[in-house]
Amino acid sequence: MSEINSSTFITLEEMEAATNRLLETAAKVGADTWQQRTKNQTPHCKFGEEGICCRICTMGPCRITPKAPRGICGCDRDGIVGRNYLRFTAGGSATHSDHGRSIAHTLYLSKDGGDYQVRDPEKLIRIAKEWDIETEGRDIYDIAHEVAETGLLEYGKPFGTQRFLKRAPEVRQKKWHDAGIEPRAIDREVSQSMHMTHMGCSSKPEALVRQSLRAGMSDGWGGSMMGTEFSDVLFGTPKPNDTNANLGVMEEDMVNIIVHGHDPSLSEMVVFYAQDPEMIALAKEMGAKGINVCGVCCTANEVAMRHGIPMAGNFLAQENVVLTGACEAIVVDVQCIFPALGPLSKCFHTKFITTSEIAQMPDSEYIEFHEENAGENARKIVEMAVRNFPNRNKDLVYIPKLKTNATVGYSLEAIKKCLDGVTNSHVDEVGTLKPLVDAVRSGVLRGAVALVGCNNPRVRHDYAHIELMKKLIANDVICVVSGCSAQAAAKAGLLSKEAKSLCGEGLKRVCELVDIPPILHMGSCVDISRMMVLVADLAKDWTEEIDISDLPVVGCAPEYMSEKAVSIGNYVVSTGITTFLGVNPYTKGGPAIEKLLQGDIDEWVGAHFVVETDMEKMCDQMIETIEQKRVGLGI
Amino acid sequence: MGLFQRVFRGSDEMYFKAEEEVNAVIAELGENAPMQMPDTAYFLACCYAYLGKKVTTLGELRDVLTNDVRAMMTRENRTKSIFTSGIGTAIAAEIIEATKYARTPTPYENTQYHGHFSDAEVRELGVPLVTRDIPGFVVLIGPAPSVEEAVETVKGYQSRGIFVFMIGGIIDQVHSAGMTTGFNVRAVAVGPDIWSVGHVISLVCRASFIFGATEAGDYDAFNEYSFKRIFAFVNAYAPVNDITVACGAGAIKMGFPVITNDTEDMWSVPKSLIINTNTKDWIETSLEARDIKIKITNIDIPVAFSNAFEGEIIRKKDMRVEMDGSRVDCVELVQTKEPHEIEDHAIIVEGPDFDAFEHGAKIPIAYIVDVCGKNMQTDFEGVFERKFHSFLNCIEGVMHTGQRDMIRIRVSDAAFDAGFRAKHIGEVLYAKVKSEYDTVVDKCQVRIYTDPEKVKELRAEANKTFDKRDERLKSMTDESVDVFYTCILCQAFSPSHVCIVTPERLGLCGAVSWLDAKATNELDPNGPCQIVPKTRLIDERVGRYEDVNEAVNKYSHGALEEVTLYSIMEDPMTSCGCFECICGIEPLSNGVVIVNREHVGMTPMGMSFSELASMTGGGVQTPGFMGHGKHFISSKKFLKAEGGLARIVWLPKALKEQIADNLNASAKELYGIDNFTDMIADETICTEDPEELLNYLTEVGHPVLSMDPLM
Repeated sequence: MSEINSSTFITLEEMEAATNRLLETAAKVGADTWQQRTKNQTPHCKFGEEGICCRICTMGPCRITPKAPRGICGCDRDGIVGRNYLRFTAGGSATHSDHGRSIAHTLYLSKDGGDYQVRDPEKLIRIAKEWDIETEGRDIYDIAHEVAETGLLEYGKPFGTQRFLKRAPEVRQKKWHDAGIEPRAIDREVSQSMHMTHMGCSSKPEALVRQSLRAGMSDGWGGSMMGTEFSDVLFGTPKPNDTNANLGVMEEDMVNIIVHGHDPSLSEMVVFYAQDPEMIALAKEMGAKGINVCGVCCTANEVAMRHGIPMAGNFLAQENVVLTGACEAIVVDVQCIFPALGPLSKCFHTKFITTSEIAQMPDSEYIEFHEENAGENARKIVEMAVRNFPNRNKDLVYIPKLKTNATVGYSLEAIKKCLDGVTNSHVDEVGTLKPLVDAVRSGVLRGAVALVGCNNPRVRHDYAHIELMKKLIANDVICVVSGCSAQAAAKAGLLSKEAKSLCGEGLKRVCELVDIPPILHMGSCVDISRMMVLVADLAKDWTEEIDISDLPVVGCAPEYMSEKAVSIGNYVVSTGITTFLGVNPYTKGGPAIEKLLQGDIDEWVGAHFVVETDMEKMCDQMIETIEQKRVGLGI
Repeated sequence: MGLFQRVFRGSDEMYFKAEEEVNAVIAELGENAPMQMPDTAYFLACCYAYLGKKVTTLGELRDVLTNDVRAMMTRENRTKSIFTSGIGTAIAAEIIEATKYARTPTPYENTQYHGHFSDAEVRELGVPLVTRDIPGFVVLIGPAPSVEEAVETVKGYQSRGIFVFMIGGIIDQVHSAGMTTGFNVRAVAVGPDIWSVGHVISLVCRASFIFGATEAGDYDAFNEYSFKRIFAFVNAYAPVNDITVACGAGAIKMGFPVITNDTEDMWSVPKSLIINTNTKDWIETSLEARDIKIKITNIDIPVAFSNAFEGEIIRKKDMRVEMDGSRVDCVELVQTKEPHEIEDHAIIVEGPDFDAFEHGAKIPIAYIVDVCGKNMQTDFEGVFERKFHSFLNCIEGVMHTGQRDMIRIRVSDAAFDAGFRAKHIGEVLYAKVKSEYDTVVDKCQVRIYTDPEKVKELRAEANKTFDKRDERLKSMTDESVDVFYTCILCQAFSPSHVCIVTPERLGLCGAVSWLDAKATNELDPNGPCQIVPKTRLIDERVGRYEDVNEAVNKYSHGALEEVTLYSIMEDPMTSCGCFECICGIEPLSNGVVIVNREHVGMTPMGMSFSELASMTGGGVQTPGFMGHGKHFISSKKFLKAEGGLARIVWLPKALKEQIADNLNASAKELYGIDNFTDMIADETICTEDPEELLNYLTEVGHPVLSMDPLM
């Protein structure tokens, strides 16, 4: 164990002081950092920012100005903004869904005694039954393979809509149908988005926004949901799990291996081989006390919630782990990986190991990882890291003494299990969200906010996540978090049960009785699909079934940056949850598009986007929206 | 209407009622009139606890209400608001009830209601709470759906040991069915109106003061104490009005769930406000809601068996038979035997049974409990025997007092009519000995004799055993044993208190002797009684050991660093709050005054038991004050550092009589004084005036006058 003692809470200022100290190291070794590159890139291109630059054909690029209100083809600003927005969404939807596809493949390759096995057969059977797949008297792997194949077919099936849509309350399903946004095959929605935005296709705002919602839906209720569900089947459905967070989880006298990215297939194997006695013996031979695996970004969420692997940091902390000088290897899979890690790692002894054909980068050691050679390659990676330990330059080592406790892993199943603890067997049923419904209806909890999304240099790192959460919980609003937002909370100590001391009396009491932190870690960014099923069940478990859009619940991505996040925003809003964004999604240049996204789509889906860059104001607006929803419900 | 609105309306109602009552009483008596609740050192305990305000006049009462209580009743749409409004409602309730006590100290005299609880009553709850003999409290509000159900519910709680407070309509219901209520049977008819709940909350606050050493005015600490340590809950029968809902919000803040059958405008809140329309299912619903698990001993007898009946009194006119050791031969005894001599669960009755005697007869009885077991030690015999009193008293319709051959047992007509006979005494003793001492007792049988000749013979034999035990006990001194024991049984309520139990100093509650502690340790090696070696003596005079200091430090979780075993002035041992007696120094005479819990009057120190007791308790070290058990008074180690028991200058008469024999014997041995108790003053000689006390001591030549000053 580290000599660094955990603190209950860590402030933004303490984290920034630590980062500044690491930037000194960067300066010393001549490393480039995102802080510097952000300065270099500022001011950003105004046309790009407003979304009014079109590069879809080679007649352009066209830019909209008062003097040139239309592109060469005659497309106006809303057409251009709408197309860019749809392509952005399709990019995110494709990315998340392809992650889901890769997990489905892994499930298809699972076998008894293999590198990948079915760890949650109960969940597998539940999904199989949901999909009308025969389970009686069948070998669990036969079921797994059929479920995987059926899931893979969801990507390209010629007819019908996504199977998971049936999980929503009926009134919501009808709304989707009426709005024409029920997603068909996942790949089809992405392809159609690309088609619609091709030169000479759609430029009508309603059509572009409607397809954005549908492409988002194919992610949230399709690819992402599959990614989540199949990951649970393969690696176990998360349960409350204690871990540590922030840079202090790195150990000065151990081999530090950082896993970074999103797909748990690789990191699961790395975690496994880091515990191998032979590897530990080798580490000792190399002069280390042992092997310490830590996570960054969503891979951290995946391994923390299933194995209690500590979380070193989120998206904008990825360079910091290398800057500690104590990182033997940073092993990455897909998504959100800075190409900067290549040159940065060269300033230290750190091995930058890329593993996926999807994310190949210069200045990295490429060890291509397949489900078939998973064990062998993971072992190779761990060994490479261990053998790298003696190359560490001790003069450059500085690990900030920041470490918190966190309880993570609140899957929907785990939340229901926790809530069972406060039921009374004489009046209540178990396995439902009814206790949560009661707490909300009575007013003890005002509502819930789903805080998700990335970091973005446009917002002071983690400031929005942390400050919003603090204010929300002080107002008896429970938070569910995922992705880099979850890690921001963990780094600040907000995922510990002690964080109840920051809550209003209602939420505090709920935390005490249910024995949970006030902010529930639900996983990585694909796991926002868990939140969708959570709200669906919440609406179904209401005293009389209501629509999701009636719930006093809002979504919020205050520091998001990626295409995935915009795709997420589209499916969250489509699900009926008004979503607050802290960064504009390049739509400012298209008033008709903004009017739709930030208002009129309410008529289709009962929710819309709110873009607000002032976090104080945003928080007040979220609470206000929640209170309005309460009034609507008569509570 | 929403739950929050109901709480706000109800708390307004309670507030305006309080304002009206306070204005009325001030108009009548003036604002300078004294305001004092009887037999308490904690003023108006709710005002004192939550607000830190000592109310002593009606003017202060009004100020607390209109300033502090009003300020708590905020109206934001947040749980904090309903919580502070709820607690404010409880304080307003206390204030309404207090106005009655401003007019007379006994407003409920000659009514069916109990009203205010004395500090002594609160303290009496200490031991049964820590031993979980009282596993919880229920506050029943309003009329039950029927008289039968009211009785059934109260009895149901009693039979589970739950202490029952009744408010409102249910009181008439149970009384109309002829049910006896009172503190001794743990079913109290508190008052007719919802504001009488103020008495219950006052009791809760005082438990926190006394056992938790909670600081006056620490709102959060009081709520945390009740939430974590007082296992109370509320049963509110429909219709539940706003004012009751507001009280409920206060209860929930304190950690007490509310169970109701009212469905109109009612909002369930998990584990806090539970709606169950099946009122017959409330007991189990409530116990689950408050996480109370009841250890049930199923005993095959025709009447109920519960701690609730421990204080039950059987009057002469209601008694079928009496076994009275002062008139006929009686004896109770535990004997260790060889395994082959015992048939497990054999209950042997020799001689005529109860039905052979006429109504009200005094009959002889001997009951001998034979036990064996690999870990059984003869030293434990007396430990088991002392528990017979509480075992037999838990039988509904049976009263037991005394010990050894000076016992008295009464069996009521009702119990007899229900079929209670001699063998059932055996069943109870068998079941309890086997369940409570299961790690040392492998086999157990009970022999019961009622034939006069046989009993006489057994009594004589038993006395030989008693003599032998007394010899052993007498030879057992702090010096003659190798180890002492800790006792932290009370830590559930008094988290930083530790008793050090030695042969010559029993636990301050009077319930744990060195042998008890030893037995407890053997029964449960990881339990509340841990071995304290005594190898590193620092100061023999005051009884200071390094080992003891380490133990108190460890088991008080660092709250206490040092204690002495024999001094009241230098690092005296702390108290949990459930002590039998409190001892305090009387400066004028240089002596000490001791007062027991049962004594209600004043002492020459100008303080009552309650006031003295409030000086210490909750694990707080207060030189000059010390809580202790009655038996410790005649110990040769009592105040040894300050010159010993010759320091005692005043005792309540009843206590003095109770301990006279032992005290005189010790004084003779220590100082060569005969009839030392005659030199000790009591309330018949002086009550409040230390001068009077000094005059008496001079008159009788009390040895304290020639001793060194205490300070």
